Amino acid sequence: MLNTNGVPDKKQIFSRFPDKKYILKPKAITECYEEIPCNPCSTSCPFDAIYIGEDINTAPIVDFEKCTGCGICVYNCPGLAIFIVQELDNENARFKIPYELIPLPIKGETWSGVNRAGEVITKVLIEKVSLTEKQDKTALIQVLVPIEFINDFITIRSKL
Amino acid sequence: MNKKDVIICRCEDVTLEELHNLMKEGYTSFEEIKRILRVGMGSCQGNTCGQLIQRELANFTNTPINKVVTHKVRPLFAGVKLKSIVKALDDES
Amino acid sequence: MKKIDLVIIGGGPAGLSAAKMAAESGLSSLIIERNFKIGGQLVKQTHMFFGSEKQYAKTRGIDIAKILVNDVLKYSDMIEIMTGTTVVGLYKDKVVTLLKDEKYIKVKTKAIIIATGASEKVLAFEKNDLPGIYGAGAVQTLMNVHGVLPGHNVVMVGSGNIGLIVSYQLIQAGVNVLCVLEASSEIGGYKVHASKLKRLGVDIKTSHSIKKAIGKDYLERIIIGKLDDKWEFIEGSEEELIVDALCISVGLSPLSNLLSMIGTEMKYVSYLGGLVPLIDENYETSIENVFVAGDVCGVEEASSAIVEGYLTGLVVAKKLGYIHPNYDKLYLDFKAQLHNLRSGPFGEKLRRGLEEIMR
Repeated sequence: MLNTNGVPDKKQIFSRFPDKKYILKPKAITECYEEIPCNPCSTSCPFDAIYIGEDINTAPIVDFEKCTGCGICVYNCPGLAIFIVQELDNENARFKIPYELIPLPIKGETWSGVNRAGEVITKVLIEKVSLTEKQDKTALIQVLVPIEFINDFITIRSKL
Repeated sequence: MNKKDVIICRCEDVTLEELHNLMKEGYTSFEEIKRILRVGMGSCQGNTCGQLIQRELANFTNTPINKVVTHKVRPLFAGVKLKSIVKALDDES
Repeated sequence: MKKIDLVIIGGGPAGLSAAKMAAESGLSSLIIERNFKIGGQLVKQTHMFFGSEKQYAKTRGIDIAKILVNDVLKYSDMIEIMTGTTVVGLYKDKVVTLLKDEKYIKVKTKAIIIATGASEKVLAFEKNDLPGIYGAGAVQTLMNVHGVLPGHNVVMVGSGNIGLIVSYQLIQAGVNVLCVLEASSEIGGYKVHASKLKRLGVDIKTSHSIKKAIGKDYLERIIIGKLDDKWEFIEGSEEELIVDALCISVGLSPLSNLLSMIGTEMKYVSYLGGLVPLIDENYETSIENVFVAGDVCGVEEASSAIVEGYLTGLVVAKKLGYIHPNYDKLYLDFKAQLHNLRSGPFGEKLRRGLEEIMR
């Protein structure tokens, strides 16, 4: 339970994923389930795809028609609560996740894939690591994840 | 619980046992306790012990915590040497 | 005796913002800061802040400190800063006495903004004074300001935002966080922070607390236990953990001693963290021209402290005859920002607390 251990339930998670037709292209998933006073995801989006509005306590709503999955909101979210997901084919999903720990992974490495409860569930391939000045110390990691974990994968842990 | 090992006031090294013993003797106001145990008179001036003592008093006297009167804060808020005060007076005149 | 129109006590987010806005209005001020550097607790906040752009959201606290300090330094002809200086006395005739390097200084002023912030609450448990037991904020200072690790195996007590954020920063520093204990049945802070920890493998144990610490010369082990709905330990639920540091993060209480000293009307409001002054809609206390800004009148986020600072700086300047060219527009904007920051479900207790202290 989100309120007792920090793990959102399946229903909550699914509520943030778009229809299957959208996810064939990269889309932002905002796992921000509470109404907290915060709006950088919305103001940082160059495509006006995340709506919060005047009352910054409103939970973000993504317009999946407009979202290009660029990943700018991912490193601008102070709660590290946004990631990008794309269904590549029948075998793999591609994620872009925020990452603030060292050592950073290196392109081509295989790392453990972790779920929202902190358990290792799979192996993932690091496709790209970016950390520009604009990202202000939050790296963006692009990883290839086996498709069956598309709703479970959330982060990476230690090189294999 | 071994009350001897629970520190209530770090500045003056006052334990929960000392506090409880005093309350049992009938000292149930912060000002009285302060005068006997020196709580609130150390370097932090009650910032640390204040809320702990307030809670203990609330429990002991069965009073809501917001009704427990805290201690009177007076100048000077930190140790000032007499020398410094005299020097300031000299400079003024 | 030194004479200055406005004295601001505290060089954190609230005090710095107040000085800037007063200066913009044409009013000079003196900032008194106990620490050797201005910036307050922002200087150790390595995480990105929430809020909106107006309160520098998504900027790391440490960088917000730089912005606010630079703003103040731009007005070096109008804003005097005394660091390493403690206010030792505050008197009704608006004389402030200071201590700097053993020098006792008297300042006569027309208005005072008290922006002293808050201090960490502590817990009473066995051996609670063993070396290795810290406030979570203290650990943040140790780590993020001085570059010193508090220990290698740490347990955090308290799952408010500070407890969750400091746990995350401990992990960033390579420390093993065994678990976070929360006495209540639900996590206290933002769940995005909780989720961030959980995915790193840190358990948040609700209805749990620290029972006692064990160690001879320093912390070696702790006993934790499960709490019933009356917050009493359930017998037989004890668990022993090997740790070399324990962080206490059970809330902050306003540093309102100076207000008690000067004799403003005060009230104990648990929603605001403890004893706070009664204020009007412009943060003026029951003593004319004595204002408050930031955590000293109710513990909340630094974002609100910044806006409260701007607001009081603006209002004090006007009261002393220095009217900002955009006064009306700014006043409404600051009020709207504060309303916005507090209007969500997380602001509910705060709103109720603030209602209680309106005079």
